[in-house]
Amino acid sequence: MTDLSRRDFLKLTRDGFLYLSGALAFGGLLRFLSHETNSARKTEFDLGFVDKYPLGSRASISEIPALLIHTDSGFTALSLTCTHLGCTLKPNETGFACPCHNSSFDAEGKVTHGPAVKPLKALRIEITDEGNLKVFTA
Amino acid sequence: MRPSFFHHLHPPTIPTAQSRWRYTLGAGGTAIFLMLVLVITGALEMFYYIPTPAEAALSIQTITYLVPFGGLVRNIHFWSAQLLIVVSAVHLLRVVFTGAYIPPRRFNYLLGLALFLISIFLNFTGYILRWDTGIQWALVVGTNLIKTIPFFGNNLYTILIGGSEPGSPTLIRFYTWHVFGLMIISAILIGWHAFRVRRDGGIALPPPSLRADPNRISRFELVRRETLAMILTSAALIILSIFSPAPIAAPIRLSVLQSVPESAAAPWFFLWVQQMLKWGDPFLFGILVPVIILLILVLIPYIFPKTLESELGRWFPKSNRLAQITLAIITLLIIFFTILGSLPTS
Amino acid sequence: MRKLIAISSGILLLALSLAWWMNSRQPQPVELMPILTGQPEYCVTCHSDLPEISASHPVETFGCVSCHGGERLALDADLAHSTMRGGANPSDLSVAEISCGGSSCHTGSEADDRDHIQRVMTSVQSTYAGAIANIRYTFGAQTDLTAHQGINAITDERTQTGITALEIFNPTLESNPMIQKFGEECFTCHINAVPREGESYTRQTGCAACHSTEQHQLTTAISYTQCNTCHNRGNYDLRTMTFVERTDHLTNRLEEYYQPIAQFTQCEYTLDCVDCHTRSEVMGDGDLHSNQKDIQYVQCKTCHGTLTELPLTKTLTDPNDIAFRMAFLKPVVDLKLGDTILVTEQGEPLWNTRVLPDGTYEMIGKATKQKFNFRPVMGTACEQKPNEQESHFCHECHAVER
Repeated sequence: MTDLSRRDFLKLTRDGFLYLSGALAFGGLLRFLSHETNSARKTEFDLGFVDKYPLGSRASISEIPALLIHTDSGFTALSLTCTHLGCTLKPNETGFACPCHNSSFDAEGKVTHGPAVKPLKALRIEITDEGNLKVFTA
Repeated sequence: MRPSFFHHLHPPTIPTAQSRWRYTLGAGGTAIFLMLVLVITGALEMFYYIPTPAEAALSIQTITYLVPFGGLVRNIHFWSAQLLIVVSAVHLLRVVFTGAYIPPRRFNYLLGLALFLISIFLNFTGYILRWDTGIQWALVVGTNLIKTIPFFGNNLYTILIGGSEPGSPTLIRFYTWHVFGLMIISAILIGWHAFRVRRDGGIALPPPSLRADPNRISRFELVRRETLAMILTSAALIILSIFSPAPIAAPIRLSVLQSVPESAAAPWFFLWVQQMLKWGDPFLFGILVPVIILLILVLIPYIFPKTLESELGRWFPKSNRLAQITLAIITLLIIFFTILGSLPTS
Repeated sequence: MRKLIAISSGILLLALSLAWWMNSRQPQPVELMPILTGQPEYCVTCHSDLPEISASHPVETFGCVSCHGGERLALDADLAHSTMRGGANPSDLSVAEISCGGSSCHTGSEADDRDHIQRVMTSVQSTYAGAIANIRYTFGAQTDLTAHQGINAITDERTQTGITALEIFNPTLESNPMIQKFGEECFTCHINAVPREGESYTRQTGCAACHSTEQHQLTTAISYTQCNTCHNRGNYDLRTMTFVERTDHLTNRLEEYYQPIAQFTQCEYTLDCVDCHTRSEVMGDGDLHSNQKDIQYVQCKTCHGTLTELPLTKTLTDPNDIAFRMAFLKPVVDLKLGDTILVTEQGEPLWNTRVLPDGTYEMIGKATKQKFNFRPVMGTACEQKPNEQESHFCHECHAVER
């Protein structure tokens, strides 16, 4: 009886130790793989002298990607990344369309056709003292 | 005749019924042969392929256009990979439609499913290694889908991507998974799968007393049949490769998120997922539905009425009708969505 | 079974033979390793028949991809051409900055005189600002003749002319139908416009509009015929806002050179446009201007002087003088250190001229290589009033009869 329970105890201990070791090793593996080798993404974009974008202009800024619109009410920078799964939108007559899953947005960035739910992000804009236009993606 | 090494990989004799084309479709064996072709052609490609964002697509252009027979090697690799998916799917359908998955073969059924899943991952990672504008939305969408998983999606994304957006670490990770990680896992699983086929008594048949055909064939005959299948498959691969080259596009020169892609279409075996993604919530349609389908496949041997042993060894036994209908519906839906997804969008 | 295997082996052999045969039919890749990039290109596998683009751009040095882009390794036409800059013309202004400017080619600082592309972008030849301003003024859309709009929006941060920026001209925003029609009909002349289909004069766009006189050739010896692809090929009719091509049959240089109503002297048609008109006149001086007249400043007197003044000259003492660089590009004269050449009032060298020991001058035609001798006005019997020295006064006596 004591012999048997001793064997059971040892088996339980062995299993427990091995499973825990396995869990630790797996956790270590996940930690190992989750290192980010590339530095954080650029979030600040200098678009140059503000006069480059006169009233009424719509400039496509492909490195963000975004559309810079200059209207009477000022500058807006509309992110052209689809809010569904991140494809880059293509402008069309009514607004923007996503080539991946058929989402579409109107010229203001509101969803006109799913599957996207969220409207396009308006990016923060700053004009520096030197008159340079800066767009922030974060 | 003295049996050679290859003969010794087979049992001395097997029942004739186990080796009938009509029954097995030769799918499992063909899949193993395709894997072998993939390893060989893949190793050849590794002599030239450079897994960096700047060089990847260019090195593929080098293989395709400049290396003598490089285009042929690449096309054979491509077509073997696509045929592997098809043949594996046919193998799975055969096993379910003949009810062969019941114990003692239940565990091997799960091994086979795992292999099927891994061959899809192998195909997808290989597709991404092109690193050209033809694959870039598949990469963006596929990886962004991971982010939609609640709780640990972002961590999983980092583990797979190696950063906050697809880039150089992503390519080297996909490369490592493709040529080593997934390869080694599938090599082990193939060995295990084949071992279990023999351990479980070969391809499923009724018990000896209930067999209609008592004849057996020798391992020599079996190897001859396999040789025939291998030769025909090789010829088919070469002919496909000559007349239908693997897709290629201009390299991604800016970052993945900036270049304008040539095509927004997913790889063909994910078109059904892309089609569902057009309907709404990415997590539901992109992750949950595929996982549920996988779960149903896993559970087939556990939840549905078991095939009668007497009904083994033939197509569509009455006793496992429910499993057959379930899989047939899933298959038809996937085919239907794939067709929908491949139609040009209005 | 054995028979089946034998047959299928035959099929396999056939398939592989087919693969070998297809492979042998492929063109043998021809490698080009340009010194500049050090990266192999295979464009000449198919494009071996193209002439050298120019003596300054030997293909062994530049290759094809430096200028044209494209996929240098691809031997499939579709893929190879898919990423070419500006289609067949990498000098189109939309891409010239990358393909011609590069990082150290025709781009750089104003001080080094290497800002060609930046200057071209602001020149009236690209902005078309003068025509737009004139038409909008004529039809009441603006109250002055200053340029406010151009073909493209453009800025000039260090303006000398007071024009800091041009907005993009958008004919659809104009209320006057004539200005709208102007936008539809009259936009084929600026340097980046594609000539209309069926027009008798063809040319490329961008830098090649002037510098490419023949297929795949670049030159600085630009003959007047190249200028004629835009200039002197007809008239705009302001009433109908259409372009009327000239119908007179052009048989010789004299008739071809100027429009029938124009007045000009003999030297103006025996020389080529570029023999007198300078780089900053033609390619812009980096500033935005409202009118062609604001930038075109070379007159008869630039070379001939006036009754009281000789033309401006400069003795070349600096071996790095830009005159040597320009003369090197088109070696029609053998400029030497110590030579005295004519210069414009803005200091631009007329490097194809020379002051001769006897006080007369010589000019070598850049495109024709013809030698012309000419004299200053000073000391002649010219009766021109001192305050009437612009070219059109000279034309009154010296114009050619037609």
